Amino acid sequence: MSTNNLKSIENPKGKLSTYLGLGLSVSGILILLMIPRMLTQYYVYLLATVFTTALLASSLNLVLGYGGLLHLHHGVFFGVGAYTVAIVMTKTSWPFAVAVLLAPLIAALIALVIGWFCVRLRGLYFGMLTLALGQLVWAIVYRWNALTEGDNGIHAIPVPEFLSSINSVYYTTLAVLVITLAILYLITKSPFGLILLATRDNPVRSESVGINVKRHRLTAFVIAGFFAGIAGVLFVLVERSVAPSLLFWNKSAEILIMCLMGGLTVFMGPTLGAGILVLLSMVVGLYTEYWLLVLGLLLLILVLFLPQGILGYLMESYGKNRSKRGEN
Amino acid sequence: MDFATLASQFFIGLSRGMIFFIVSAGLTLIFGVLRITNFAHGALYMVGAFIAYSVSTVFGQGPYGFWLALLVAPLAVMLISLVIERGLLRFIYNRDHLIQMLLTYSLVLIAGDLVKIIWGTEYKSMDIPGVLRGSFNLWGASLPWYNAFLLVMGPIVALGLWLFLSKTQLGKICRATATDREMVDVLGINSTRVFAMVFALGGWLAGLGGALIAPTTTISMGMDASIIIYAFLIVVIGGLGNIWGALISSIIMGVGEAFGILFIPGIAIIIPYIIAGVLLIVRPSGLLKSAW
Amino acid sequence: MLQVEQLRKAFDGFQAISDAHLSVPKGEVVAVIGPNGAGKSTLFNLITGHLQADSGHIKFQGQDITNSAPYTICHKGMARSFQLINIFQSLTVFENVQTSVIAKHRLDRKFFRPSKKLLIEESLEVLESFGLFEFKDRSCSSLSYGDQKVLEIAIALGSKPELLLLDEPTAGMSSEETRKIVNLIKRLSQEKGLTILLTEHDMELVFDVAQKIMVLHQGKTIAQGLPEDIRNDKSVQNAYLGEAE
Repeated sequence: MSTNNLKSIENPKGKLSTYLGLGLSVSGILILLMIPRMLTQYYVYLLATVFTTALLASSLNLVLGYGGLLHLHHGVFFGVGAYTVAIVMTKTSWPFAVAVLLAPLIAALIALVIGWFCVRLRGLYFGMLTLALGQLVWAIVYRWNALTEGDNGIHAIPVPEFLSSINSVYYTTLAVLVITLAILYLITKSPFGLILLATRDNPVRSESVGINVKRHRLTAFVIAGFFAGIAGVLFVLVERSVAPSLLFWNKSAEILIMCLMGGLTVFMGPTLGAGILVLLSMVVGLYTEYWLLVLGLLLLILVLFLPQGILGYLMESYGKNRSKRGEN
Repeated sequence: MDFATLASQFFIGLSRGMIFFIVSAGLTLIFGVLRITNFAHGALYMVGAFIAYSVSTVFGQGPYGFWLALLVAPLAVMLISLVIERGLLRFIYNRDHLIQMLLTYSLVLIAGDLVKIIWGTEYKSMDIPGVLRGSFNLWGASLPWYNAFLLVMGPIVALGLWLFLSKTQLGKICRATATDREMVDVLGINSTRVFAMVFALGGWLAGLGGALIAPTTTISMGMDASIIIYAFLIVVIGGLGNIWGALISSIIMGVGEAFGILFIPGIAIIIPYIIAGVLLIVRPSGLLKSAW
Repeated sequence: MLQVEQLRKAFDGFQAISDAHLSVPKGEVVAVIGPNGAGKSTLFNLITGHLQADSGHIKFQGQDITNSAPYTICHKGMARSFQLINIFQSLTVFENVQTSVIAKHRLDRKFFRPSKKLLIEESLEVLESFGLFEFKDRSCSSLSYGDQKVLEIAIALGSKPELLLLDEPTAGMSSEETRKIVNLIKRLSQEKGLTILLTEHDMELVFDVAQKIMVLHQGKTIAQGLPEDIRNDKSVQNAYLGEAE
C-alpha cells in the first residue's frame, strides 16, 4: 500500500502535547464516567456501543494504518470473539471468566492461521486473501448449525449478575476501552511500533536492515486479532446476542470507513471515526430509513476531500503551522 | 450418484460460471487498464438486473420484453458507468487501493439505497421467455434451455472481447494503455477517453450479467454483495487484467460451487472461498499472467 | 571476506548474469564497474538476498549465503545502500537510523518500552559521523537530495556491518556532494576498517578509492584485479569502447 498521500506527522514535539493529550484524556474519561447519571438508558447503551466499536476500529488500525497492510476483513476476529463467548455461555457450563479469556485467544488463533497465509502476499493480493479466508470463516459460522445456530444466531446470552444492568456494562466497556487503548498506544510507541512503521514505509529496506518483515506483520496481525476478540466480548455484553452478519464483509468495510474517517495515521483517529459513525447512524435513523445512502455520500466526500481523515487533517495543519514558525 | 445427475450439475455449474465470467470480465478489464479496484461492479450488475426486470415488466413479461431488456439494461448501465467514471473516478486514479475501494464502496452503499427507493424492497422476478423455457435431454440428464443459452452467451462474450482487444485498433489502444499510460499520451492518444471507454465497457458487461441472470433468480438487494466478492476473487485468481484467466477461474468457481451443492449441500457455500483461498496461496500472482 | 563464484541469473529468458566472479578481501575497498546494463545492480541484489540466484555460490566470511533472506544476511554482518533513495519516508532522520540500530540489536519485538528512549547514543553517533546530527528531528522530505543520499548510507551503517555494499552512492550528485561521499568512503575504510564493495559510473572516484576493481560486462566478469592492471586491460577497453560505438 503506497503511502504517497498518507504521511505520518504524528510527532508533535515536546512535553506540552503530551500533557495536553493526557489532560484531555483524563477530563474526557471523567466526563464519560458521569454519563449514566446524566443521560437516559438509551444513550448509555449507545455510548457502550461506541466504546466497543472504538476498540475494534483501533485494533484494525494497528494493521491498516501503522502496518500499511490492506486488511479488508478484520471484522471476522471480532465475530469469532463474540461467538466464542456466546457458544461457551449457551452450550457449555463453563464459567463466564473462561468465555472472556477464551474469546480473544481463539480470535488470535484464527488471526494467526489467516495471517500466516496472507503475509506471504503483498498489496492487493494480501487484501484479497484476507477477504477470501475471512468469508470462509463467515461461511463456516453461517452453516455450522450445531455449533452456531447458523442463520438464527444465538440470543439471550447469559452474563453474570453484576453485568446485567446497562450501567455496569457501560462502566465495564469504558474501563476495558481505556486499558486496551493504553496498551495499544504503548505498543505503537514501542520499538515494535517503530519497526512496524518502517515495514509500512519500506519493506525492502526493512529486510535489508535485518527485519523479518513477514514475521513482524504477522505479529501485528495477531495482536490486532486479539484485541478484536476483546471487542467481541464487549459486544456480547452490550447486545447479548450474536448473528452471522457480524462476520460478513460489510461489517469489516464499516470498520475501514471509521479508520479512514478519523484518520489512519493518528492513534485516536479510529476512535473518533467509530464515535461519529455510531452516533450518526442513530441520529440519521431517526429521520430516514436510508442510512446507507447517507453513509455512502459521507464516505464519498471523505475520500475525495479528506482522505487523511479528520484528525489527520488537523495534525497536518498543526504541523504546517509549526514548520512555518520553526524551520525558516 | 449417477452420471445424469453429475452431468446436469456440471452443466448448471458451467452456465453459472458463464455469468461469473461476464461480470468478472468487466472487472478484470477495468483493473487491467484503469488499475482501479471497482467495488461498485456488483452494484452495476444488480442495477442491470433491476432495469431488465422493469423493461420486461413494461412489456408484460413477454418474449419481446426479455430480448429488449437484454438490449436496454446493459446500455443503461453503460451510461451510468460513464457518468460515474467522468464524474468521480477520474479523480482517484493515482491513489492507493484502499482509497479506490472505499470510493467505489461508497457507490455500493448509495446504489443499494437508491435501488430501494426506486424499486421498493419486495423481491422481484422476471420470466424466462417462451422460447428458452423448459429443458432438453442429454445423456439422460434434463438440462434447462436457459442454461444452455447462458453457455452460449459466455463464449460469445469471451470471443467478442478477445476480437475487440486483439484485432481492432481501439482494442490495441486499450492494451497499450494498460501497459503504459504515459506512453500512450505521448503518442497523442487521449488516455482519458480510453479510460472512460473501458470503464463503460466494463459497466456494459456488468449490466449484461445482471440482465442475463435476472430470469433465473430473485431480483433483490444483496445481489451485489454476493457477486462482488466472487468477482474479485475470480479476477485475482485468474490474473489481474487477464480475460482468459477470468474465464478459467469463473468456470472453476461455477463448477466447484455446483458440485459442492451436490456433494455437501449444507455447507456448499464454503467451496468458492476454499477454492479461492487455495489458489491464492498456491499461485498468488494468478493462474495466467496479469494485465495482457 | 566475500566470495562470489559462477553466479547465474536469468529473467524471463534474458540472462542478466551469466558468469560472475568476485573476491573481496577483508578491509579493502573493491569496486565493480561496467557499462550500462552490465548487471551491476542485479549482482548486488543477488549478493544481498533480494534476488534468488539460478546457480552459483556466494560465500560471506566462510558461510554460504546463496539464496539466504536479506534479513539473515544483514545479521551476519553485511549491509547495503541503494541506488535510488530507499529510506523510511514518514520517519524522522533520527528514527531512520534508529530503526536499523534497533533491528541490529534484535530489539524489534520489544513492546512496552518507548522506542524514543532506546539506543539513543548509538543512533546519534551514526548521525554525527555523517554530519546529519542537526537534522535529527526533521522529516526526511525536508532534506536535500544530497543529504538524503547520505542518510541512505547512514541507515546501512546503523546495522554495524563488517561489509558495506554501496550501490552507485554518488548517482545524481554535484561534485561538491561527491567529494563528501569520497571522503566518507575513505574514512570508513581507513578509520573504521570497514570492507567496502561499491558500484559506480564515476571512474575518477573509482580509481581514487578502490584498491581492487572487478569489471562486469553483459553479466560476465571479464576482469578482476588492481586498478592499474584494469586500466591497461584490453578486454576492458573493448567493452567500454565497444559501447561508445
